[in-house]
Amino acid sequence: MKKIAVLVAMMMLAAAPCAFAQSSVEKAKAEGKVAFYANMTSVEPVMEAFQNKYGIKAEYTRLSTSKFIATILTEHAAGKLTADVLQAPIPVMELLKSKGVIASYVSPAAAGYPKWANKDGMIQSFGIEYVALIYNKDLVKAADVPRTYQDLTDPKWKNKIVMADPATHPTTISWLVGLRENVIKSDAEWRAFLKGLAANNPMFVASFGPTPAPIETGEKLIGISMPKYIVTKAPAPLDWARVSQPMMGTPRAIGITAKAPHPNAARLFVDFWLSREAMKIMAEQVGEYVLAPGVYPPIAGIDKAKVIPIRELSDDEIRKWGAEFKKIFAK
Amino acid sequence: MQKTSSALTTGLIAIVGFLTLCPVVMLVLGSFSSELGAFGAFTVEKYVAAYTDPAFAEILLSTVIFTLGSAIVATGLALFLAYLNTRTNIPGKFMFGVISLIPMMVPHILFAVSWVLLLNPSNGMINLFLRQLGIEGAALNIYTLTGMILVEGLLDLPIAYLVIAPAMSAFDVSLEESSRVCGASNWRTLRRVTLPVLRPAILAALTLVIVRSLASFAVPSVIGMPGRIYVLATHIYSIVATGYAADYGMAAAVGMSALAASITLIVLYRRLTREGEKYVTISSRGYRPSVIDLKGARYPLFAVVALLSFVLIVLPILVLFYTSLVPYVMTPGAKAFAAMGLRHWVTVLRDPVSLLALKNSLTLGIGGATLGMILSFFVAYVIVKVRTKASGLLESLSFLSFSFPGIVVGVGFMWFFVQTPLYSTIWALLIGYIATYLPYGLRPLTSAFVQIHSHLEESSRVCGGGPLYTMRRIVLPLLVPGIASGWILMATMFVRELSLSVVLSRPGTEVLAVQILRFAEDGLWGRLSALGIIMIFISTALVIIANVIARKLSKRD
Repeated sequence: MKKIAVLVAMMMLAAAPCAFAQSSVEKAKAEGKVAFYANMTSVEPVMEAFQNKYGIKAEYTRLSTSKFIATILTEHAAGKLTADVLQAPIPVMELLKSKGVIASYVSPAAAGYPKWANKDGMIQSFGIEYVALIYNKDLVKAADVPRTYQDLTDPKWKNKIVMADPATHPTTISWLVGLRENVIKSDAEWRAFLKGLAANNPMFVASFGPTPAPIETGEKLIGISMPKYIVTKAPAPLDWARVSQPMMGTPRAIGITAKAPHPNAARLFVDFWLSREAMKIMAEQVGEYVLAPGVYPPIAGIDKAKVIPIRELSDDEIRKWGAEFKKIFAK
Repeated sequence: MQKTSSALTTGLIAIVGFLTLCPVVMLVLGSFSSELGAFGAFTVEKYVAAYTDPAFAEILLSTVIFTLGSAIVATGLALFLAYLNTRTNIPGKFMFGVISLIPMMVPHILFAVSWVLLLNPSNGMINLFLRQLGIEGAALNIYTLTGMILVEGLLDLPIAYLVIAPAMSAFDVSLEESSRVCGASNWRTLRRVTLPVLRPAILAALTLVIVRSLASFAVPSVIGMPGRIYVLATHIYSIVATGYAADYGMAAAVGMSALAASITLIVLYRRLTREGEKYVTISSRGYRPSVIDLKGARYPLFAVVALLSFVLIVLPILVLFYTSLVPYVMTPGAKAFAAMGLRHWVTVLRDPVSLLALKNSLTLGIGGATLGMILSFFVAYVIVKVRTKASGLLESLSFLSFSFPGIVVGVGFMWFFVQTPLYSTIWALLIGYIATYLPYGLRPLTSAFVQIHSHLEESSRVCGGGPLYTMRRIVLPLLVPGIASGWILMATMFVRELSLSVVLSRPGTEVLAVQILRFAEDGLWGRLSALGIIMIFISTALVIIANVIARKLSKRD
């Protein structure tokens, strides 16, 4: 009898949020639409899956990183921000939060995520824009693949490296600073690494986007780039160097806007975004490194790798380090 | 008459001023604002920071070399091609007309990438080929100022060509005949008569290319950055890109020097072509451009042009086509040819956003160019035929948003449009396009207008023709080549427009170039090339249609 009572109580407890969830889905459906602003590769499959599951139109506005804050603050100030949900690197979300653009929401779908991924009940990290040494596996012999980041300073890589411009590209700047803080703990060693890298005369491009092309054509052999290109650019002969040190990257986060025109649809969208189902799509189709436990991109060895978030640098710090790197990397 | 023309001038100043001043005023506000947006407490800090940067002098020097070099390459090539095409009996004319326009239709970023694939010092295809010929160490390096000038010059060739060709074809034969009667050779006639009379067109082409290359971003970023050569546009990019909270006010402060340079050029241009009467070549007497017989030089010259076109224009397009067929960017070889397929084409043609972008770009290209030419027609008329202080103002106004580097002016338009109900509609794109690229419609038209003597209009009016009748029966038919050129420049520009679109396009108003940029940001060169080729096809179709219509119209009279 007692057992039955417990069972009934448990069922009621389980049913209550379910009923609640049901009604919020109804409300979301009544709103009919969710507008999503982000800058991510191929999120269309996730948008489509959401649309198919709930019959709510999901609209994707892609804004490049350099225009993200400018656009959102302009629209926000004019009272014309149509976005319900925003996705961006953590520093961007933090800045938008400080301008009052982000609302509070903790999604039940983030229950299994690491603790650091949501500090304030507003911004939820769901992945890490992980950076690695990517090389051309047709042209680089297994024995030559770097085993530490410092191996990049070997003169054999002279004129063979491509990277985003360390004077201007925020992610690369943060990554180099992250190396100092997380991997190469001695300042002298870190500076030696930077000098050695500079001495190898790397070719600079504007951002990560153009880094894989010169590697796949063989114009360069190795680059500071992202493993996700192994997935998105398959069958290009790209692989990542399994260095003994951890991989690092800026966390990617998601949040709801303070004046979301479709608040229920926005919450439902965030719940779906953080679900295992959506995270699997992102990992498998776009090679994203996600925080949903046990979900990995289909890249050999990534499930064993240690991937850590780097500290968010303020824009002042990024500019300061950018100027410093500009000097170090000057020809 | 005086009254109508001054009312017309005032009206046009109001329209053009509204179109081009609004974004620029927002940018000026932003450059003096202490906030990230346009409205904040007044400060001059952004100017101080921008212009006390120690690297700035070197950047300015590279910028001057880059823009002047590109202008000279583009104008020189355009003169050569336009002369052969319009004034001589060289074979295969139609082909040259199209080939000199192709760079206008290619997304600039793709054209630049093609050249990197051809000429990078490590494994550029031409360099590999040279090495196979046994020319060791003959590595040509694209990542240099020379490389940048060459590629930008080629990309701007159509602008110069479309300004110069109409002027060339509306040439009064009697001038050259007089020269020859006096015993001058063909070459001397060309040097002493033809080129001086073409001065307004040549200067217009130089001005336009300088201003355009000043604002250009694709070549400086794809070719300049890897060579660590920074010009104004990449410098502005680095201001915007370093850090997450991009300060477009500061970028605008730097952009003001581009604006100042452009306005100086316009003033200079007006001064140099002040004695308008000097350049009139179509007066009332027998007007028919003569054809010069090249005789023995016909085929050798044809070969030169064909080779030039092949290396400079066809080869990069072939590279694009090749890239669209291979699964990833591979150096050509047995492996690459075995892996070829249509996968990127299928993906692009099945992508609903790409298809919508195709439709929107086509609508904007045709509709925008047509509206733009109507406005350009009246503006050009006032600039050339009224020539008062006010018309000078009008001319400078028309260049305002055109002379800002692309990344900056887009934000200016966003700051402006967000205050209006047009924000995030296709109308914002349409208006922004016309406002920014008005000089593309104006330049070919003004240089064509300059050559029509007012005697022609006066004769018609003496014979009882009203102003509208005179316009329709006398002026318009003579302007057809200029109108066609302007329409082509605008339409092909709008089909591949990126700077404004990337800021103003929203779900539902996607356009081709933005879709292409997304593929570029994700490094998906195959899809990028496929969509780029589709874009080239569309533009080619537009150019052919415009040419056919123009030919019909000018034959009718």
